[in-house]
Amino acid sequence: MLTSSPFLAGCAGIQSALDPAGVEADAVAALFWVMVAGAAVIWLAVMGVLYYATRRDRVVHSETFAGRVILWAGAILPTLILTALLAYGLSMMPRLRPWDARAAEDAPLRIEVVGEQFWWRVTYHRDGMEPVVSANEIRMPVGERVTFTLRSADVIHAFWIPSLGGKMDMIPGRENTLTLEATKAGIYRGPCAEFCGSSHALMALAAVVMETGAFDEWLARQAEPSPGVGENEAGRAAFLANGCGACHAVAGTEANGTIGPDLSHLGSRVTLGAGIVENSKAGIGRFIAETDHVKPGVRMPAYRALPDEEIDAIAGWLKGLE
Amino acid sequence: MIRVNWKHLAIGLAILPFAAVFVAWIGFFNVGASTGHWKITEWFLHFAMRSAVRTYSLAVDAPETLPREGVQAAAGHYARGCAVCHGAPGERRSAAVREMLPQPPDLQEVLAGDKWNDAELFRIVKHGVRFTGMPAWPTQNRDDEVWAMVAFLRNLPGMDAGTYRDLAYGHDRRPDPTGFHDDFDAALADCARCHGEDGMGRGEAVPILSGQRVDYLFAALEAYAADTRASGVMQLAASETDPRLYRRLAEHYAEMPRTGTDRDDADAALAARGREIARRGIPERDVPACVTCHDRPDRNPVFPSLDGQKRYYLEEQLRLFAEDKRGGTPFRELMAKVAKGLEEADIEALAAYFSGRSDTRR
Repeated sequence: MLTSSPFLAGCAGIQSALDPAGVEADAVAALFWVMVAGAAVIWLAVMGVLYYATRRDRVVHSETFAGRVILWAGAILPTLILTALLAYGLSMMPRLRPWDARAAEDAPLRIEVVGEQFWWRVTYHRDGMEPVVSANEIRMPVGERVTFTLRSADVIHAFWIPSLGGKMDMIPGRENTLTLEATKAGIYRGPCAEFCGSSHALMALAAVVMETGAFDEWLARQAEPSPGVGENEAGRAAFLANGCGACHAVAGTEANGTIGPDLSHLGSRVTLGAGIVENSKAGIGRFIAETDHVKPGVRMPAYRALPDEEIDAIAGWLKGLE
Repeated sequence: MIRVNWKHLAIGLAILPFAAVFVAWIGFFNVGASTGHWKITEWFLHFAMRSAVRTYSLAVDAPETLPREGVQAAAGHYARGCAVCHGAPGERRSAAVREMLPQPPDLQEVLAGDKWNDAELFRIVKHGVRFTGMPAWPTQNRDDEVWAMVAFLRNLPGMDAGTYRDLAYGHDRRPDPTGFHDDFDAALADCARCHGEDGMGRGEAVPILSGQRVDYLFAALEAYAADTRASGVMQLAASETDPRLYRRLAEHYAEMPRTGTDRDDADAALAARGREIARRGIPERDVPACVTCHDRPDRNPVFPSLDGQKRYYLEEQLRLFAEDKRGGTPFRELMAKVAKGLEEADIEALAAYFSGRSDTRR
């Protein structure tokens, strides 16, 4: 145990299917351990037979006996085991992916996630509320089944939060539905799990599981402009004067672009740039000035021509949008 | 008798490069121009040059009709860069030029026949000719300018002095368009040859400068001089002007009124489509709304005004941006990204819209 613990350390943490924090992830982890145990038993049995077959003082068996061993151990037993595993695996499917996709529309909380090179467009559809737009982060209440509708705007991406559940592709021109139920509050991480271009490895999202009350309060705040909009006047002016609003929306200002991520509450997100930069004033400034270095192949042009003080002002204003 | 075998041949070949360098080092070969070429050398050099131009011009895609929009700017550039060697209507070349080896041809004479076709002229103007002193076009990114020059050259034979002076100088006086300008009035007079004394630009390819933002004009001049914006015509013009005059020149034109742009000729449906793109962008192709950057009175002062700008000029700039050939101010990357999402029809629509807009939101 002591010697293996350094290796097992990689199995815990915010992005591990072996450290489940959701109903689906629990089932996936249970399936994994059952299969590991079963594989261990089968491996030991095969090794035993191998030893038996190669020992020095061999007993010669009849051809009929050998035929029976091959039939049972080589065909019938594997078929039974695989059938059982298939049945168990299929029985988990309806929970992860509803049979009736239309039912997803009526789910009390539906989160629409669109994969784009190289970020995530997120829209919350909560019963009795106008849709709330965000990006690069999903928040969900603990203990409530949440429906995800997954789409892509360009190439194939894949949505996977290992701590919460299984993985599903986001395919252009198709809408895939996935449901997840978190069991433990916390912050998890979901990488894009299908190669999507030069910055595929730099495309991740933070998944924040909150207590139900806290989540609804948070969502209600997201539906309103951030109080930070009115602060840092110089930063807001520079943001608008340099055309940032052509691609980004910030609620409460005239910036209403839809090409890039919505920045209305950027300051309170866990990470920046789809999970790759620390969300601080300095991090925002770096992303504005060196976008193409931070994220090769990114669609946003780098604003390195802007004077430092303007970048600083914009970063300060954006960080204040909580 | 020595039998030549492969060994002797190999030794001979190995020695050959050293022998060649040795002969050149001795310096007996006469590079003086006083005696001219031998007849056979001259014939061979011409033969090789003509053949090379003919062969390389096969890859040139010549338009059926040469574009007329840039002919005036080409004439202005011809006066600065070409006339000194090739002559111009009413302007005889100096005796010194006529003593050069090889002697640059008098283009009015040479082009009167059908010695070169359009593609061959394009090839020569764009790439120049090695060993003759004929330089390449200052940038390899502006085929539109080169075609305009070819169009001008086609008109050159038979052009009278008055017509040429009007095209190249804008009036019937002959200023000196060559040389370095460190005097404001001389520099301004040089700008005015193409941009007009009113800053409205002569010809469709020359942009309107009057009423343009001063920071944009200044940044554009700096970009031309620093080789970050491509234009054979303007790069030469900017580098022949004292950089200390850029700010004053920019202020001069920025302060001029943009006089009435009567461009109701624009197709109304096309302009309406352009208006739609300008206001909403094309989000599915990552094209943001133009007005977010180009309309705000409090915008970054380097973002230019587009209202009433020449339609052909706008189209050409958008095409250049889309092909990553334009360059520009330090903010050029923004437009390069945007223009890649535009299709030819969008470019035409946008140019129709902005050229037809009155100058109200500078």
